[in-house]
Amino acid sequence: MTASARPQSWPFDTVLIANRGEIAARLVRTVQRLGMKAVVVYHSADRETLAVHTADQAVEITGTPPVAAYLNAAQILSVAKATSCGAIHPGYGFLSENAVFARAVEMAGLVFIGPTPEQIELMGDKVRARGFVERAGFPVATSAIEDDDPATFAHRARCLGTPLLIKPSAGGGGKGMHIVRDLALLQTEIERARSEAERYFGDGRLYVERYIERPRHIEVQVLGDNYGNVVHVFERDCSLQRRFQKIVEETPSPALTPQQRQHICETAAGIVRSARYRNAGTVEFIFGSSGEFYFLEMNTRLQVEHPVTEEVTGLDLVEEQLRIAAGEPLRYSQAEIQSRGHAIELRLYAEDPAHGYAPTIGPILALHPPHGENVRWDSGIVRGSEVTSAFDPMLAKLIVRGSNRVDAIRRADQALRQTVLLGCKTNIAFLRRLIAHPAFVAGDVHTGFLEESWQIAAEPVMSVSKLQALLAAAALSTRPMVGGADAVPKLHAAMGSWRN
Amino acid sequence: MHHGFKLDDTEYSVELSRGRNGYRLHFDGVTPEVHLSSAADTRRWLTVGGQRFEVVIATRGDDVFVHLDGEVHHLRYRHPLDRLRAQSQISAEDSLRAPMPGTLVAIRVAAGDVVTRGQQLLVMESMKMETILVAARDGLVAAVHYDTGRTFDRDALLLSLEPRATAPT
Repeated sequence: MTASARPQSWPFDTVLIANRGEIAARLVRTVQRLGMKAVVVYHSADRETLAVHTADQAVEITGTPPVAAYLNAAQILSVAKATSCGAIHPGYGFLSENAVFARAVEMAGLVFIGPTPEQIELMGDKVRARGFVERAGFPVATSAIEDDDPATFAHRARCLGTPLLIKPSAGGGGKGMHIVRDLALLQTEIERARSEAERYFGDGRLYVERYIERPRHIEVQVLGDNYGNVVHVFERDCSLQRRFQKIVEETPSPALTPQQRQHICETAAGIVRSARYRNAGTVEFIFGSSGEFYFLEMNTRLQVEHPVTEEVTGLDLVEEQLRIAAGEPLRYSQAEIQSRGHAIELRLYAEDPAHGYAPTIGPILALHPPHGENVRWDSGIVRGSEVTSAFDPMLAKLIVRGSNRVDAIRRADQALRQTVLLGCKTNIAFLRRLIAHPAFVAGDVHTGFLEESWQIAAEPVMSVSKLQALLAAAALSTRPMVGGADAVPKLHAAMGSWRN
Repeated sequence: MHHGFKLDDTEYSVELSRGRNGYRLHFDGVTPEVHLSSAADTRRWLTVGGQRFEVVIATRGDDVFVHLDGEVHHLRYRHPLDRLRAQSQISAEDSLRAPMPGTLVAIRVAAGDVVTRGQQLLVMESMKMETILVAARDGLVAAVHYDTGRTFDRDALLLSLEPRATAPT
């Protein structure tokens, strides 16, 4: 897209970014490109990160644990006022789908880069959104909602039959979700889900859905403005997940026929139009193996995987969000939005796939991002950053675009191979095995694929020559070993050459 | 006792000695000549018995990270003395260590409590998951080393049991 500066008529020229990590750095980029100033807030644990280095101004906020800083609306608002910000961009996670925060931003006379508080209340609440979508005539999965009658909740859940999926009403991001295949475990799993939901969302209400076996997760990017205009920006296939969290996303979906693609995208646009939604948003669907699909939820914010959409359409979704928030009408008709080529995003996590994807921590000692044509690296870390357990373990997103899917996979492998990130265990080698797997290459995966094909996560057997090379590299980099080796000849010299 | 490196879950014994023009690696019965080019930038050339590899190496303390052939490997150096000490240490069953970094969200027991094998001791949380940690054997809780809310690294000692009474000799 053209690098056009913000018009003078906009109600803001300085944007506070209420987030951290890669998304904060990515938001800074677009805000600055449009000729505006970007202010970031950060917890001291995030001092050595890209967003703090690149923002026009960075203001420290406090909180214990560190995530609390980014959830502290009052603190963030007072920074916004003190730095003369006219708008707040919440990114994803944290306060991005918090209607109380959106309202407080508006009450403070600032622009919230997002939907109206009422739209968050409607579409951001999973249970309410399901009801709305169902009433509007769109497909939803059968479910039991605790709020309808808490006393009969477990009974109604049982009646749906197994397998079941328990979800927090206020949830997102896979937190507190549990599959139940054996009804004897229903009560235990409900209690576990409730405990997690209470801690993550401060809200223990749950609902249970019939779990669709071997489903694909397909979502549709949408844009709506203040004047009732809505367009979709095509779908993303996010079927590769571990623990209900996405790790590889792509567009177009390899599973859809052109007719199915059009149908699911138009359904999403229809839902969003019914809600008179404003802002960028994502409508998520469960897509069954026989082509049926159900509304899952709507995310009323920018999505982690938005870059794949940007790569195939040329749009900058953050710029569109800013324009919509500034009161501009949508700049494109549906027909003007075209998708070209194939884009794949790979999420690089600080984790150990061979040990149940357990998160890892450590300092970033060396970092060489991949480079090359159609390779995009969205990351918040720099050399010297410290990966801690205080935040989400996502380190970076690698996005590649190819002329078709085969080309994109090839580029993705090449880019992963180039990536050097030393200091904590990451999933890079695992991602390479994953995208080389015949099922992925064939586009034949579902959200439970990694649980079924757990062998991909196991460390492959290492060749002797590779093991030897690693031990040599390590030994030659370890002072006591090199020092020990160096000391011996001297000893021999002192003793004379009697051995010869 | 030799020097050692732990890679994934295996520990390997290795030695380094001076060779004719550099060093020799002693591992698994063979002793190839090895050489590491000095670092111009962080990329270096490693030669092992005539075979050349491009590597990036970073170290911190006893941790060595090696990027080789498109993959990163983490090795942890074990000094001969530490390896000796580890051999003579008390049973691992006496200590409950963190399977991953995280925080404690619930402590179900206190020092002095009698616990039975499989009993829930601690609930930890790492990112988006709760994990219940249970007793590996019957015993008496000696100490809980972390409060709720404090973060810890993988392998941190979270709870210890009193050592088993030694059998009468």
